[in-house]
Amino acid sequence: MKNKTQQEKLLRFGISSLALGVFPLIWFLSQAILFRELTEQLTRNIVVLIAIPFGSLFIFLLFYGMNKLIDFAPKDARESLEARMFVGPGIFMILLFLFYPAVRTFYLSFKDRYSQEFVGLENYRWAFTDTEMIVTIRNQVLWLIFVVFFTVFIGLVFAWLTDRLNKGESFFKSIIFMPMAISAVGATAIFKFIYEYRPTPLTQIGIINGIRVSRGEECYNNRIINGELKGYDDSSCLDAVGWLQQRDLSALPIGNRLEGTGWLGEMLVNLPISTFLLMAIMIWMYTGFAAVVLSAAIKAIPSEIMEAGQIDGASELKVFRSIIIPYIKSTIVVVSTYMVVTVLKAFDIIYVSTRGDLETNLLAVKMLDEFSKYRNFGRSSVVAVLIFVCVLPVIIGSALRERDNSNE
Amino acid sequence: MTRSNQKWYDKPISKLIIVSITLTWMFPIFGFLLSSFRPGESIKRTSWWDAVYTGTIWSELSFNNYQEVFRAENLDRSFYNSLAVTIPSTIIPITIAAFAAYAFSFMEFKGKNVLFLFVVGSMIIPLQMSLIPLVQLFKDGIEIAGIPIIPALDLNGTFVATWFAHTGFGLPLATFLLRDFMMGLPKSVIESAKIDGASHFTTFFKLVLPLSIAGIAAFATFQFLWVYNDFLVANVFLGIYKPENLVVTSHMSQIVVGRFGEAWHLRTSGAIISILVPLGVFFGLQRFFIRGLIGGAVKG
Amino acid sequence: MKKPLLMCFLFLTLILGACGGGSLEGETVSITGALIGEDQNGFRENIKAIEEATGIIVTYQGSDNFEQEIQIQMESGDTPDFALFPQPGGVVDAANRGYLTPLADLDIDLEEYQNNFSSYLVGLGTVDGVIYGGANAANLKSIVWYQPAEFEARGYSVPATWDEMIALADQIVADGMNPFCFGMYSNGASGWLATDWMEDIMLRTGDGVDSYDKWVTNELKFADPIVKNAATLLSQIMHTEGYVVGGTDAIVSTYFGNAQDPMFSKDANGNPGCFMHRQASFITSFWPEAAQGQAGVETTVFPFPSVDASLPAAALGGGDMWAAFNDREATKVVAEYLLSADFHAPAAQMPNNARMSAHTGFDQSLYSNDLYRVMGETISAALSANSFRFDASDLMPPEVGGGSFWKEMMNLAVNGPGYIDEALANIDTSWP
Repeated sequence: MKNKTQQEKLLRFGISSLALGVFPLIWFLSQAILFRELTEQLTRNIVVLIAIPFGSLFIFLLFYGMNKLIDFAPKDARESLEARMFVGPGIFMILLFLFYPAVRTFYLSFKDRYSQEFVGLENYRWAFTDTEMIVTIRNQVLWLIFVVFFTVFIGLVFAWLTDRLNKGESFFKSIIFMPMAISAVGATAIFKFIYEYRPTPLTQIGIINGIRVSRGEECYNNRIINGELKGYDDSSCLDAVGWLQQRDLSALPIGNRLEGTGWLGEMLVNLPISTFLLMAIMIWMYTGFAAVVLSAAIKAIPSEIMEAGQIDGASELKVFRSIIIPYIKSTIVVVSTYMVVTVLKAFDIIYVSTRGDLETNLLAVKMLDEFSKYRNFGRSSVVAVLIFVCVLPVIIGSALRERDNSNE
Repeated sequence: MTRSNQKWYDKPISKLIIVSITLTWMFPIFGFLLSSFRPGESIKRTSWWDAVYTGTIWSELSFNNYQEVFRAENLDRSFYNSLAVTIPSTIIPITIAAFAAYAFSFMEFKGKNVLFLFVVGSMIIPLQMSLIPLVQLFKDGIEIAGIPIIPALDLNGTFVATWFAHTGFGLPLATFLLRDFMMGLPKSVIESAKIDGASHFTTFFKLVLPLSIAGIAAFATFQFLWVYNDFLVANVFLGIYKPENLVVTSHMSQIVVGRFGEAWHLRTSGAIISILVPLGVFFGLQRFFIRGLIGGAVKG
Repeated sequence: MKKPLLMCFLFLTLILGACGGGSLEGETVSITGALIGEDQNGFRENIKAIEEATGIIVTYQGSDNFEQEIQIQMESGDTPDFALFPQPGGVVDAANRGYLTPLADLDIDLEEYQNNFSSYLVGLGTVDGVIYGGANAANLKSIVWYQPAEFEARGYSVPATWDEMIALADQIVADGMNPFCFGMYSNGASGWLATDWMEDIMLRTGDGVDSYDKWVTNELKFADPIVKNAATLLSQIMHTEGYVVGGTDAIVSTYFGNAQDPMFSKDANGNPGCFMHRQASFITSFWPEAAQGQAGVETTVFPFPSVDASLPAAALGGGDMWAAFNDREATKVVAEYLLSADFHAPAAQMPNNARMSAHTGFDQSLYSNDLYRVMGETISAALSANSFRFDASDLMPPEVGGGSFWKEMMNLAVNGPGYIDEALANIDTSWP
């Protein structure tokens, strides 16, 4: 009797380690090695051709194989083995591809530029004293505040207003939601065309500068009028401005007007206009997202509640403030959380517009710059940790809310 | 119903706001799209609004830029690469997440809550934080105290590296969303299958998967757009130095960042081409996509 | 059903893994670098000869984001066979980290290499006495672009000294035009044009080449009067009213590739936007197409004027330095070819090629265009006379050469001459 259970235990152990340990490992390695070899041996077109079915189907082999192996196990052990088989790969992948690297980044942030010696908190000291880092952190904070605020605010107003339309609601929402499908690289290209600056006698092809330099009379954006080319190099004309290179307002007429108008004026003069123009790209991309999600939340408000407000004779704005907003508060928080995470990931916009020059940098770009341009892995890791620290309170906050909600 | 019968929405101010926001949102694309059909020299000589104003633009428009950017740039190859990265990077995390979500929804096992907390918790890890160690992992593997846990695989520069990377980055959200969805399925159906003697594996494939197709499609659209539009991961794991490794976004970034100096006719047409696929997917699957976004965000 | 399939897969892996080996025919050698556009075409033209001779498939792919990509590739192990670094500092750093193969291991005759390319260039790619970097082609930076016809029409003469250049500039301003084109915006590298100006002035003031070399290693601090003088002279160009077309704002905002466009664009009175543009030889590939064909004819160069007449002429330049990541047989063959005198010949014969061979034995008559022949001779002569100096910001540590030096030059342009001391002090502090 006892022997049999021993044997059974052994069998169970053997099968479970085979199904959950050895086999997935073989699967993982064989997919990796096989495809790497295929990439090296086959011509490119064939690789691309087989990549799609190969990559997509191989994952089913994993579960299929594990399941077949588990079938050999004794019946009573199967339930727990199956559970592990269902959850295991997910946990394993998150551990290997997300959790372990993140922990390692944290560890490397205490080491020197080539990750050889421990330097204690030296890299952290650098992060908070280096002038460029301080500007980068400032920009990141500005992005977090303004991008999140404007996407949610415009999105909310838009959702509220379109909700009352009889027709055309989905049309309007599709239009403003559309930029979400465009890559940040594409969106940045589009906005670069708007902000485009060219030195003086050349035609301004960016519309902002184009409007700036064409003021009629003597100033035209190189338009041919009666066979004569009209430019804008007359001293009465305004010069074009390199919008993405403006760190403050001093080059603009408004800057001169603000100068010496007290502390508020001084503060406004220092407004980093280039950073705000770059933020516009992201606001353009994500407002539609906020609008669509918030609109769904507004639609979910039971009509009795809305009617109650109206019967009270409250004005529309009051209904909006005192009924709609409180009701969809949790959705607003979720959207804001998502936006915070997205803003922290913002990389492409800066990368293809300014590469962080002239005080427009963001943490994500700075991280890669420290890694590749200055070749300092320690500092690069610190920047990554900073990004993590920025996300932390938001997610913990929303997790706590979630718990409170479910406890109610 | 009464809500939509109110007079208020007829107030011109609210319509004005809607229309002006919509126009503002369309405006950036408008000039860009128009310019993509203009010859390069014209773009630089006359601004597009001047050309519209004077009417010279209509005789200039042609598809030449598109032909040129396609021919000169091998953009089609980048498209295939993008698909080879994107499709498996969508299917792999969804499959793994669907299994895990099934277990979290319908199975009882030790440590279920702790593991689920781990999955949800790992959503807070920003992708950048794991990026560089992951590059090193794909090259050198992992060694702990001299014992190789994962051997040196030398995966960087192959599609597999991007598949695994996107799987890691996408899994937590996928698991979370799909579990949310599966929890909403009627438990009785699954229990009756159990009584019929079906294994979990069969129940999963025959019953739960078909029922969850809406939730899966939602996340798939989401992940597809995210991977297709991703630039950072492709940049790091595939590299940009081999032209055969370019995906659409990295290719676009080269076009946008002054590879042609002032060649706005190629920049515009290239960018327009690059956004056609995601726009198509987006409008085709808009309903799923929006539902997926809302599913996670709107509760109660 | 599926398990045999899996076995097949695994088996296939083993077979495929065992393939490989054989003669050099059909082997591939990949080269990456920062050369793009016309330069890339030229380089690809150059490597065709070795492909035909050996059957090795040599590929070159350039990227304007090369510096970052090569870092990631070194970390990821997915390196090419050769990298063509635009800055020798990249070679030194990669060598320090143990990624590179010394030229000696590639069976290169080091002595001959030094004779051909000058010990100065070879020294830039040497770490602890071991040579890692292979010199290749160079560009010339000590030049100012101008249009002779426009000068002639207005009776201006080409300035030979700094003072003459300033006098000419004042004259042009008095005539109601702008003398200089100056644009130093460059995604992620903004400011390098101003550092180039500084370097050219540094080579022509103080002790010339000697103080320049000390400056590169920070033996001569930025706060030193020699450096301060150079910054003051540069600021004179940037900040004198009317000197630069578009003013200070244009300096900071104009993409360096567009900077010369005003010269090609005439206003209603037929005056060009500017008359002089100090920029390296490679700028031609950024010009409008119509102007490119006229390089050397309609638009040509005069040497950067001397500042201190007692110093011998010197040439500032840049260039690429290759390094190898392995010592495969095919790599060795290609490495030897890269250092041969004929290597650059096909590119030199291309009409729009703006890179000059750094091989002192190169046949200068091969250049398609007199402009480039003169530049090639200048580089070659300067190398032989040890008066060729490499772009200093490329030789300084990246925190300075690719960081604070660039950044403070941008700040200097914006803030005006009063900022010079602060700018130089900031750069000194940032030196690691």
